[in-house]
Amino acid sequence: MSDTALTAGRADVVPRRRRMTRRPTVGTVVCVVVLALGAIGMLAPFAYMVVTALKSAQHAYDLPPDWYPKEFQWQNFSDAIHGPLPLLRNLWNSAFIAGLTTIGMLITAPMAGYAFAHLRFPGRNGVFVLLLAALMVPIQVTVIPLFLIMRNLHLINTPWSLILPQVTGAFGVFLMRQFFLSVPRELFEAAKIDGANEWTIYRAVALPLVRNGLSALGILTFLTSWNAYFAPSIFLNSQDSATLPLALVLMRGPFSTGQINIIMAATTFAVVPAFIVYLIAQRWIIAGLTSSAVKG
Amino acid sequence: MVADSRLSVPAAAVAAGTGDRRRLREARAGYLFVAPSLVGFLVFVLGPLIAVAYFSLTRYDVLTPPEFVGLDNYRRLLSDARLHTVYLNTIVYVVAAVVLINGFALLLAVLLHQRMPRFLTVIFRSVYFFPSLVSLVYISLIWQALFQRDTGLVNYYLGEVGVGAQSWLNSTSLSRWTVVVVDVWRNVGLAMLIFVAALQDVPAELEEAAQIDGAGPFTTFRKIIMPMISQAIFFNVTITVIGAFQIYESIIVLTSGGPGDSTRSVVMYLAERAFSSFQIGYASAIAMTLFAVILTATLIQFRLRRSWVHYE
Repeated sequence: MSDTALTAGRADVVPRRRRMTRRPTVGTVVCVVVLALGAIGMLAPFAYMVVTALKSAQHAYDLPPDWYPKEFQWQNFSDAIHGPLPLLRNLWNSAFIAGLTTIGMLITAPMAGYAFAHLRFPGRNGVFVLLLAALMVPIQVTVIPLFLIMRNLHLINTPWSLILPQVTGAFGVFLMRQFFLSVPRELFEAAKIDGANEWTIYRAVALPLVRNGLSALGILTFLTSWNAYFAPSIFLNSQDSATLPLALVLMRGPFSTGQINIIMAATTFAVVPAFIVYLIAQRWIIAGLTSSAVKG
Repeated sequence: MVADSRLSVPAAAVAAGTGDRRRLREARAGYLFVAPSLVGFLVFVLGPLIAVAYFSLTRYDVLTPPEFVGLDNYRRLLSDARLHTVYLNTIVYVVAAVVLINGFALLLAVLLHQRMPRFLTVIFRSVYFFPSLVSLVYISLIWQALFQRDTGLVNYYLGEVGVGAQSWLNSTSLSRWTVVVVDVWRNVGLAMLIFVAALQDVPAELEEAAQIDGAGPFTTFRKIIMPMISQAIFFNVTITVIGAFQIYESIIVLTSGGPGDSTRSVVMYLAERAFSSFQIGYASAIAMTLFAVILTATLIQFRLRRSWVHYE
């Protein structure tokens, strides 16, 4: 995370420059060319999506394909939104579920992460290992009892069936513990001597020190929920309760208008929020993902 | 860690006898802070895990109460030809994902680690990583269009170079590789990102020293860099194994499991048994096998990691 970047930055300055003078630039050019070709392969499907989303029905299947939009059928987007599925409603469902899940996770995970990093209590390591073991239990294994629980609580077809199981989670606790461990303990000790209680120390001293960690956790939690398909496909069985990924699969399936340009318009509509989040929050996403791997 | 943090408790506080009270207060705070996560774990992970283990020993159709049948469901696992097919498919997905995702990701990370203008590094990293953040459903919808036999771009460009049209989405032999392609395309960026972070932590002096000693780039990579990034390799292999065992929505979108069962995954079969046929008991036994496999894979990797991974 941030200190990884720092050490990498420092290491860059001297030895790398030396290396550059020895390394033939031909090698660098080859690297860049190979990476660029691969990058075209990564971008092409998205280009196809956007270009097709803007095509009229009669040109949607034209071959050879266009790689930049020649027509701008903005109508496709409103056709998708006002089609047989309530896409705006589905968008709201996705946002509501992902939003509340994220808020819940941002409350529960840092508290536990802080306790595991800096508070001493009997059984701490045992509880931590137990929570970590949850990483080995994907929702696919426990989905049957979860479904029965949600059914008994009459939460099927409500956002709560997805929010409740996700407001706590081992990954978040583990991630936040890593961030809290990188904060020197002395910072809290000083506050303790001043007589502050644990909650005050946590809120006023500890949390502000791990802002980057909170950003990373928040964004990763949001995206995980936003992208989820498996659990929503089990717990949400109506058009009105469906999330956006469910709605798009429905749209292509029995409710398909049969028009690829409309489906791609709906897909563009769904991908753009992820793209915007990525542009804004790339730094924290990368910090959150790499810190759990490299420091694990 | 516990020991040295005790040492740092100010001596004055301990001497005054406030130490015990404070330690008690700290422990109470610790339990309260952990409580929400622990409750969530008990209710939504451990409880359901115990329940699924119990259901796997019963016949249960949701309408009538579960009836204990011992190991019947597990015996049925052994003779269920469809289950064997979906497990075989899933193993293909797992092996292909582990080899291809990590292979390509390592290659990309090494290329990206070479000296080049900073803006290029940032652009390439962003481009390769972006698909990992997009729902696999949307990615699969796009690729489904690209892989269409008559209207898809893949066959069009293959035709341009003289390759005949392929049935990417409904061929018993080919379609499972189509699923692999989409999976690799989507997930390679995440693994690459983790390798890049690990490579940045390899001290440049070490590479320098090896090169001065006359080691070629491949020897340097194998003997110096590979051991240094072994932890990242293990992490990536673990998450690709666990991820590939859960493969689901890409297949739903691309092939719906067909033709026949040729692309169907374990999780698809499990969901079908549980929520279409309401064979809760049998589906629970399938879920237990999935759990056993993931548990084993994780434990093996922990064990190997202890003996292989180089820690600084």
